[in-house]
Amino acid sequence: MIALAQAIVNGLLAGATLAVPAIAFTTIFAVLRFANFAVAGFATLGAYGGWVENTALGVPAVPALAGACLAGGVAAVAVDDAALRGLRRRLRPGEAALAPAIASVAATLLLENVARFLFGNDPRGYNLPVYRDWHLGALAVGPQQLADAAIALVAMAALFLFLGFTRAGRTMRAVADNPGLAALKGIDAVRVGRIATFAAGALAGLGGMLIGFDTSLDPLLGFRVMLSVFAAAVVGGLGSIPGAVAGAFIVGVGEEMATLVVDPAYRTAVGFAAILVVLSLRPAGLFGVRGT
Amino acid sequence: MKHGLTRRAALLGGLALPAVAPSLARAAEPIPIGTLLPLTGAGGAYGPSMAKVAKAVTDEINAGGGVLGRPLGLFTEDDETNPDSGVKAAHKLIDINHVVAICGTWASAVTTAVAPVCWQSKTMLFTVSGADSITKLPHHGYIIRTQPNSHLQALRVADFIAARGAKSFFSLSAQTPFAHDVYTQMTAEFAKKGGKALGDIIYDASKTSFRTEVEKAVAAKPDLIFLNAYAPDLGILLRNIYQAGFSGPRFTPGYAATPKVIASLPKPVTDGLLSYAPSPDPGSPGYKRVKEILGVEPDPYSCQVYDHVSLAALAMAQGKAATSQAIHDNVRAVGDEKGVPVTDAVAGLKAIAAGHAINYSGASGPCKFDAIGDILGCKFRFDLVKNGKSTLLSIS
Repeated sequence: MIALAQAIVNGLLAGATLAVPAIAFTTIFAVLRFANFAVAGFATLGAYGGWVENTALGVPAVPALAGACLAGGVAAVAVDDAALRGLRRRLRPGEAALAPAIASVAATLLLENVARFLFGNDPRGYNLPVYRDWHLGALAVGPQQLADAAIALVAMAALFLFLGFTRAGRTMRAVADNPGLAALKGIDAVRVGRIATFAAGALAGLGGMLIGFDTSLDPLLGFRVMLSVFAAAVVGGLGSIPGAVAGAFIVGVGEEMATLVVDPAYRTAVGFAAILVVLSLRPAGLFGVRGT
Repeated sequence: MKHGLTRRAALLGGLALPAVAPSLARAAEPIPIGTLLPLTGAGGAYGPSMAKVAKAVTDEINAGGGVLGRPLGLFTEDDETNPDSGVKAAHKLIDINHVVAICGTWASAVTTAVAPVCWQSKTMLFTVSGADSITKLPHHGYIIRTQPNSHLQALRVADFIAARGAKSFFSLSAQTPFAHDVYTQMTAEFAKKGGKALGDIIYDASKTSFRTEVEKAVAAKPDLIFLNAYAPDLGILLRNIYQAGFSGPRFTPGYAATPKVIASLPKPVTDGLLSYAPSPDPGSPGYKRVKEILGVEPDPYSCQVYDHVSLAALAMAQGKAATSQAIHDNVRAVGDEKGVPVTDAVAGLKAIAAGHAINYSGASGPCKFDAIGDILGCKFRFDLVKNGKSTLLSIS
């Protein structure tokens, strides 16, 4: 029973961190209608951006998250402007956005190698103390994990406020809901696409740095979590931001609970089996509405 | 008497030319030799220095006149520490570059995947991978391993743990071809010393947290936790173990406890970390040469790849043929106990040219191999992290 409670706590905390890049992935899908796997690369570059600010410039780790957002956002806009937007433009109406999705996989490899070229292969760590777990009764909780989850929740709240209460956020939602109508209303789709891409890149960068806080930093950081990020977004329903959050918690808790019954080496497989179950019952994902 | 070129002679000469020309061209043509290294991925901390050493030793051999009058042409590929990429790169080296040998494969999973490609094409494979299963493959003599196999390593590790006074250990292992075997062999050896293995968890190294795995290990209350990890996951494990409140000794292979991993973590997390590694021979001229090439204390794999290229060159010279078959047939002959002792390839090539038998002993130590290609005998070094720095405990 305690083991189950501990697995749920671990899963929820892991899910909160996973939710940040999952929101980034789903935001791009909502506004630009394609799966941008380069989110993994944005997370990696973001994590390094924050690392430079934290270790080279001496900025404390939490304020250095701003550097992670900036690096992730700039990388995202640069990749989109250089390659992905052109590929999207060439799609025929109704055609599945396969070419930009594949190009985004290539962009991830490129960004990973940019990180490797600039910072090398060796693992790096943030200038951040490591604390022993707190014991709440029989449950153990890491202070850093709690802090990461809190930061993730603040970032999610900030995104919801941005989407709900700013003009740029509302135009993004308009484009996501009905691109044709948004164009008729004179909304500049390219500009909105850029804002969405920057916001998503910034979130991915933030997520990358949060993952780096609890692990270490190397060029494969984003790539390692990409499968779980994609799974979270798909389970929640591609294009749905609340869905991505729910999906991240389901994947996080599912993977941890799996370790109670099977060898931990198989936990990824069990997580994906859970995804198959969800998608068999609701093909559009939990919060999906557009039959994606 | 009429001299000059008759039409018949001219015709014969013309026919003979194409037959002569390729052999003339081949004489100067480089002998292609390959390295397949973990330039990126989990072994990325070692690949680049291995590549540098392989290049330097090739250059030295070429500056000394090459092998059988031909220079070596080095082709380096990245296996990305990934079996799929390793197999693709091996095919490129064998089918396109026609290399006589592939040197330096590092991860056991990569070597296991690449080995059949090599033996089926009768190309020699020199490896630094430790998994027992590798030399048990039906490789027909086309694998030479300079790293002690995992069985030998497991015995030494269990003896060391027992000598440190631990009565029990728990093992956390990355999913590798040797993880299960090492645990079983350690358990048996440790039991002989009166110790008890409390359990083994094989984890998925692609995850970003191992809290659940570590919590299970700590709950078993072991005296020592054995981390059969690679560098990227070791950092996460050490962090999670510290967070879980475990203060006892942690023990890991030296290839995981790289200086960069230790430097990337706060001192309280790494202090007390023990590591082991098959030790090159620090007193040997070959070791000193590798140290000169790299400018730092060399890792065991850079020393071993120095020996791979040297052994390939010497075996070809010994067999008087620039072929993989010559390496296959002569790689043990260049370690002849009765031969002239040599510590580098250039001196060895000269001695062979002068008609002497040679006894090559390189940067990683004496290069003697058993019938299935395993190295015979090897020293181990044990290190302890103190105040954020790895310090040598012993070499034995």
